[in-house]
Formats: sequence, C-alpha cells, structure tokens
Amino acid sequence: MSTPTTRSRTGTDHESAPAGSGSRTSVRPSTIRRGGPQRALVRERLTSGAFLAPAVLLVAALLLAPFAATFYRSFFNDHRTSGFAGLDNYELFFTNESLVRSVENTLMWVAGTVVLPCVLGLAVAWLTNATRWSRLARLCVVAPYALSGAAVAVVWNFMLTSDGALNQLLSTVGLDPPAQGWLLEWPSNTVVLILANAWQATGVAVILFLVGLQGIPPETLEAASLDGAGPWQRFRHVVLPQLRPVSVIVVGISLANGLKSFDLIWVLTRGGPGRVTETLAVSMYQETFLLQHAGAGAAIAVVLTLIVLAASWLYLRRQLDAKGD
Amino acid sequence: MLKTSRGRILRNTTVILLALVWAVPTWLVLSNAIVPAAEYGSSPHWWPQGFALFDNMSQAWNKAQLGPAMGNSLLYAVTSSLMAVLFAVMAAFAAVVMPVRHGTLWFWLIYSGALLPLQVFLRPLFLSYANFDLYDTQLGLVLVYAAIAVPFAFFIMRNYAMTMPREVVEAARMDGASWWRLFWQIHVPLSKSAMVAAFVFQFVAVWNDMLFGITLSTSGNIRPVMAALAELQGTYVSVGPPVVLGGAILVSLPTVVLFFSAQRFFVNSLKLTS
Repeated sequence: MSTPTTRSRTGTDHESAPAGSGSRTSVRPSTIRRGGPQRALVRERLTSGAFLAPAVLLVAALLLAPFAATFYRSFFNDHRTSGFAGLDNYELFFTNESLVRSVENTLMWVAGTVVLPCVLGLAVAWLTNATRWSRLARLCVVAPYALSGAAVAVVWNFMLTSDGALNQLLSTVGLDPPAQGWLLEWPSNTVVLILANAWQATGVAVILFLVGLQGIPPETLEAASLDGAGPWQRFRHVVLPQLRPVSVIVVGISLANGLKSFDLIWVLTRGGPGRVTETLAVSMYQETFLLQHAGAGAAIAVVLTLIVLAASWLYLRRQLDAKGD
Repeated sequence: MLKTSRGRILRNTTVILLALVWAVPTWLVLSNAIVPAAEYGSSPHWWPQGFALFDNMSQAWNKAQLGPAMGNSLLYAVTSSLMAVLFAVMAAFAAVVMPVRHGTLWFWLIYSGALLPLQVFLRPLFLSYANFDLYDTQLGLVLVYAAIAVPFAFFIMRNYAMTMPREVVEAARMDGASWWRLFWQIHVPLSKSAMVAAFVFQFVAVWNDMLFGITLSTSGNIRPVMAALAELQGTYVSVGPPVVLGGAILVSLPTVVLFFSAQRFFVNSLKLTS
C-alpha cells in the first residue's frame, strides 16, 4: 500500500500515509474492502462533498443566510413591534425625499462610472501602448488603483476643502473658486465625488484594456495600414471591434464597483450635507445603523442588489455561455 | 509625413496632460506629507519644505492607534486570504476535476457571494455576531473576511483549473492514486501561480476594506486599519493635514508595494476573470 503504485480498485482514501519507513499505519480496515461500483460512487460523492464543504459552508453561513434574512426583513416595518408591511418599505423610494435623491445620485454614479473610467482607460491604454516613455504616464494613471477608498477620500478631502489645493490652483490661475469648497452644493458635490472615484478606478480599466490590446494580432493593423487606413480609422475599424469582449468586462466591473462604492463617500461627506450625496450603498448604512430603520435599510439593500445583479449580467452572460462548451 | 507628425504631437500632448491630471494629487499628497505639521500654514505646499515625513507618520501612528490597527489588518488579510485560497482551490478541484453532480449549481452557490453588494450582509451579520459573541473580536473579522474572499478566489481557481490538462489526473487515477493525494501532490502544485494571484488579490481587498471594520468592530485593538484611517481623517482640522496625509501614505504602503511588485500576478488574475 505504501508504494506509489497502489492497486486498490476503488481509489483508497488513506490520506497519503507516510510512505515506506516500515510504520505502515493501517488507516482504516475498510481500505481492503472491494466494494461494488455502487459503493465506490457513494464514496466518490462523499469525497467531493468534503472538498466542497468548507467553501460552501462559509459562503452559505456568512453570506447567503444574511442575504436571505435581509430580504425577509425588507417586508416588515420599523415600528416598535415590527409587523408585516408588504411593500411599504419599497414605496419609500417614491415618497421619501432623501431616498429619491439617493436614487438620482446612484443613477449619476452609474453614468459616471461607465463613461469616465472606461473611456479614459481605453484612451490611456491605447495612447501609451506604443511608445516607451509613455509607460511613466501610464504608471501615473494606474498607481491610484492600489489605494483604498478611505485613502482616496483623504487625498481628495485635501484637494477639495475650502483652503485646499484645487481652490488654491484656481485662484492662482485667476479664476474664482467656490468659497465653501466643492462638497456643499448639489449636484456638483456628487459630480466631484464621481470624478474622485474615476481618479482611482481608471487604473483597472487601463490594465484590462492593455491586456485586450496585446491580444490583437499586429498583422490586422499592418494590413489596415497597407490599405491606407489612417490612425483614427485603424483604431475605429480594426482595434475597437476586437476590444469588444474586454470592453464588456470593463463596463461590468466599473459599474458594479461604482454602485458598491461606499468608503469614498462615507469618509469624504458622510452622505451630507444633509443627505444629498448619499447613494443607495450609503443610504442603506445610514437608515440601518444610524436611523435604526432596519426595514427601510433592508429594502434599499435588496434594490441595490437587483441593480448590481443587472449590471453584472453584462459580463456574467459570457460566463454562462462559456459554461456551455 | 506632416500629418503623422501632427498626429504624434497631438497624441503626446494628450498623454502628458492626462498624466499630469493624475499625478498632481499624488504629488501634492507626497509633498505635503513631508511638510512639518507645525509649519503647515493655511494652504497646501506645492514644493516640499523641510523633511518631517517620518515625524508626521509617527504622530498619525500615535493619534489614531495605527500600530495595532495595521497589526490587525495584517492578521486579517493574511489568515482570511490563506483560508479563502485553500477553500477555493479545494472547491475548484471538486467542481472541475472530480466527477461531481450539479457542477453548475455549486459554482453559482459559491460565486453568488461575489455578486451581492456587501450591504445586504451587514445587519444580519451584526445581529448574529452580537448573539454569538463574535462582535468586536478578531475571530469574527477573520471569518467574515474569509467568507467575502472565497467566491472570487473560487472563480479564479476554477477558471484556472479548467485550463489544466486532464490527462495528468486521469493517468494518476488509473494508477490508483486517491483524490486527496491527487489534490495535494498534483492539483495544488500545478495551481500555485493562480493561488498566489488569488492570495494577492484578496490580501489587497481585505486590507482596503472599511465597511466591515466600522460595522463589526469598535475597539482600537480590534478594528482594521482603514477604520482607523477614517477616524484619523475625522481629526483633520485638529492634527493638521500633513499628519493625516502621512497616515494615509503609511497605511497604503503595504498594498502599493504589493501591487507593484506583484503586478504580473494582478494582471494575470484579472486576465483569468475575462
């Protein structure tokens, strides 16, 4: 049994007992058993279950069960004895002013995170793909991707406060900066937050597009040049169509990340002033933990989940297709 | 000829402008984190003045208890990522290599965790953590971070396992090797590079997390580093910008260094997701 060529038909289950050395610890009497194919099958099932169990249990207990609890909670109101409320919590999206604003902000975030990181990422990847010196430029853009949301918030707080760097820069150039900083007026504060997010999030788009660009066979570009296509035409008709699969992933990832972004807003504005810079991710935290409206918070979390899933569908579809073959 | 050179100029200007826009905040953070906190006036410095970076960092270290917080985050990031990668590679082995029934179901059961926004987990976790005495404990945070890290690590490991040649496994099975032996002696060694990629990826994700830190912990000797940084940011006016910026640089160093030294792994793990 201890030699590499074990001859048990059913695939033994001794966990690599110390080979040789004479001390052949008999793992289990059943190793000698010659079970029929039926038993082998059962044993195989059990073994695969043992391999799957830790991951499945961890995810089920700490992620899926809480998700189910949140979903369930969203149908109960927030009175002292919380009773069944049907869809009342979901109606808040139309009646509660802060939540309406939060939905508006979330839509702005969706638009901003699709357009900015993706377009800028593609531009940077394409423009810096050719020359050597531009690697340094690319590094400038990719570097913030390594920062956390909280650290990005610290950086941009420093840029945006009333005596911050941006105002200083503007007044040096001769422009008139807003005296109270950039984070008080809606909707410009949300726009500024989206720009700060783009500063960080473009890095991953650049990396992904570069991977995509390197997958384009150079012959197709050479052929296009021989046919007299200019740089713009080559980009438009040769490069872009071949980047489609990557673009879908970049859009999906930026969308999901933008929708989930919490740290940046929380550290920079706490959703304020008032609650005007909240997105759904922040509103959920605010309602649940600060206002003690667990039902409303749960409903927000469920709606956010639906939006995130819809956005992820963009690139998940490919994953599903890939499973087919 | 004229046209191409004009195009090149346009291209280079765009590149330089974009790089400048991105580099300015980075540059300002660096140069102002160097300015001694006492000498910082009311407006940012565009050039470094004096050198008090380490002094600022140590002030941040003391004021926001960054020391224990960084120790905690190191513990959380290493143990949870190791757990997650081990569990993920085991699950991927079962789902891809072993003849398991309902493979797609298992895949979605585990992977769905990566799609849901963290917000849906918060309150039930908070309540049951309070029930089971896991609230504000290191074990509680390790568990939740491991759970969060498993789905994406599993995604990476599974995609990698699907590219591995089946013949090796089939041959080993013919020789009568057990599944456990196959796993440890063939599957794990072959998956090593993807495991490193998944580990690096999850390490950064855990280190950078703030949401679970502020929800599931409260005391200074339990909470992770980004929760401490958020508190330091709250004292922006009293301690002065150089100290806060110094603190932000200090807590970002591990992930920035890891990111640039393991860039290859990052790119590979991102590639694997496509």
